[in-house]
Amino acid sequence: MNRVRVFLQLVLLAALPGTLAAQDVGTRLDGRVSPQVRQAVVKIAADAAARGLPVDPLVEKAIEGGAKGVPADRVIAAVQALAGRMGDAMTALREGGVSAPTGDVVEGGADAINAGLSNHDVQDLVRASRPPYDAALTLRVAATLAALGVPVNQVLQLVEAMISAGRSPGDLMSLPAEVETGIGRGATPAQAAAGLTRAAAAGRPPVPPGQAKSGKPVNPHRP
Amino acid sequence: MAGYHPLVKQVLDGELSLADLPRDLRAEGEEAVRLIQAADHAPVTLSPAVEQRVMAAVRAHASSPARRAWRWLDAPRDVELRVRVRPWVVWSGALAAAAALAILFLRPAASPTPSTQVASRDSVFVRFVLYAPGARRVAVAGTFNQWDQSAAPLVPAGTSGVWTTTLALPVGQHQYAFVVDGERWVVDPGAPSVDDGFGRRNSLVSVARGTRIL
Amino acid sequence: MPASTQSPTISVTYSAGGRLGLEAEASDADVVRAVLAGDVDRYAVLVRRYRDRYARYAARMLGSRDVAEDAVQDALVRAFDRLADCRDPTKFAGWLFLILRNRCFAERRRRQRERPLTPGDDGFAAPDRPDGAYDQLERRTALQRSLGHLTAEQREVFVLKHVEGMAYEEIAQITGATVASLKMRMHRAYDRLRDLMKGHL
Repeated sequence: MNRVRVFLQLVLLAALPGTLAAQDVGTRLDGRVSPQVRQAVVKIAADAAARGLPVDPLVEKAIEGGAKGVPADRVIAAVQALAGRMGDAMTALREGGVSAPTGDVVEGGADAINAGLSNHDVQDLVRASRPPYDAALTLRVAATLAALGVPVNQVLQLVEAMISAGRSPGDLMSLPAEVETGIGRGATPAQAAAGLTRAAAAGRPPVPPGQAKSGKPVNPHRP
Repeated sequence: MAGYHPLVKQVLDGELSLADLPRDLRAEGEEAVRLIQAADHAPVTLSPAVEQRVMAAVRAHASSPARRAWRWLDAPRDVELRVRVRPWVVWSGALAAAAALAILFLRPAASPTPSTQVASRDSVFVRFVLYAPGARRVAVAGTFNQWDQSAAPLVPAGTSGVWTTTLALPVGQHQYAFVVDGERWVVDPGAPSVDDGFGRRNSLVSVARGTRIL
Repeated sequence: MPASTQSPTISVTYSAGGRLGLEAEASDADVVRAVLAGDVDRYAVLVRRYRDRYARYAARMLGSRDVAEDAVQDALVRAFDRLADCRDPTKFAGWLFLILRNRCFAERRRRQRERPLTPGDDGFAAPDRPDGAYDQLERRTALQRSLGHLTAEQREVFVLKHVEGMAYEEIAQITGATVASLKMRMHRAYDRLRDLMKGHL
């Protein structure tokens, strides 16, 4: 006498993870890119898939190029370059001991490489990212910090200091915001990152953004 | 009348089958099962008028003065931004909000730390604002809308030259840029940016469910 | 700085409530946030979604579709009034259920005070039939009426288990009672129902 547990699911369970529909690469590109780009990207994607790399970022990059009106050969070159970075990331991850990296981790690695980190840096970060630290998160945060202008070696120091200090993954995710706040107060990205690293190493929780020393919240919109 | 034998109750609870009952309890078991089977499982449909009645009450409640006090921490109460033209300053405050941007609601203290994996249907509202006083039209395009500049137009917020829109973005990291007058691709100077591979740059926004409020 | 712009551009991004394009895609959480940001009309999405979802539970608990309709309406309005207290908008459904549940319990208490039900005074007597065989429909009606003579807790555990088909563990999570105490309630309910259904089984 089993009933459909719709009732219970609504009451107790969180939303189930979404899964991406496996769509044909060519179909997704139709109408968004020129035939020349479509043909090239279908092949690049097939090669990438055969190597175990995620295909979605390649499709998205091609669509982006099409939307921006970028000439075909440039789009193809960019998609190829992305596939290359993901391949490098995959190699770095495998050498770093991750036998079957997920698509997210590979993308994160590719972003980090794009932001200026080396394969070796990617490996270091992955090795440091034991649970509860998720490698894809660590890599994304590192890539974002580098994108903010924090020098690469300081990115690594900061992220590793946070992990060693046992800070929560949520705190790790907030690092770009903390650096932004520091920059807003007149520090360079390097200085802001250095300050956060010192705070992490000393075990002091960083001052939440908007909280000046006086303890009164600072209006982030005040010029 | 005596109550049901404990073994019969176990049958009703689904822990035993009728066949498991000793022969002398079989009849009692069958009677008990008839009782349970008399439960009415038919779904119940309420009147379509329910929606009208509820919404009438809801609108009446919404317009009462007591309604003002939404305790929603993230409500855009101060929408009147003091937007100043300062091209040499990175609007760090903006991005401090933007990155944590995602913090949509307070979770109970005991909840597990959030994951950045895009694994749920949850979305976060993100507000995009661009100061572009000479523009005729402005849109935001990014990985969240396949770079379709017709998908997310901004609208002028008054006459100050500020354009704005709010989108529900799924949890995760996204790249985007503004498109001014259908042809000029403009990054968000207040946000981190990355090389887009085409000689330009894209802005980054990270969206996650968080445990802190800004 | 962005390449080739004529006017300086500054952008700010921060979180806020906003409009969603397509209702069909909007999750409960999206709608809750939109409503809290001021789009009151959007609440209709949740009303439509949940009008019937818990109607059966309310009808079995309260013994009447009409009374259940009132309870569901009240619960939906109250959920709107208290929407800012919904700590996790993704769990709106469960939160709404708890509001409805409280409303059902309150309704029962009110009715008990106004007109205490005792078996026999609801005009429901077992007809005298020699062979004891009864129509399915009659038995169903008899059970529904008998449920009205249980305590609210007994009735609820019976409805959740035998109408909604939940396991004891699931019921325990919703009601906050232990599985052991739920079984105890249920077993008392079985005995009471046997007594009330005398002649109908």
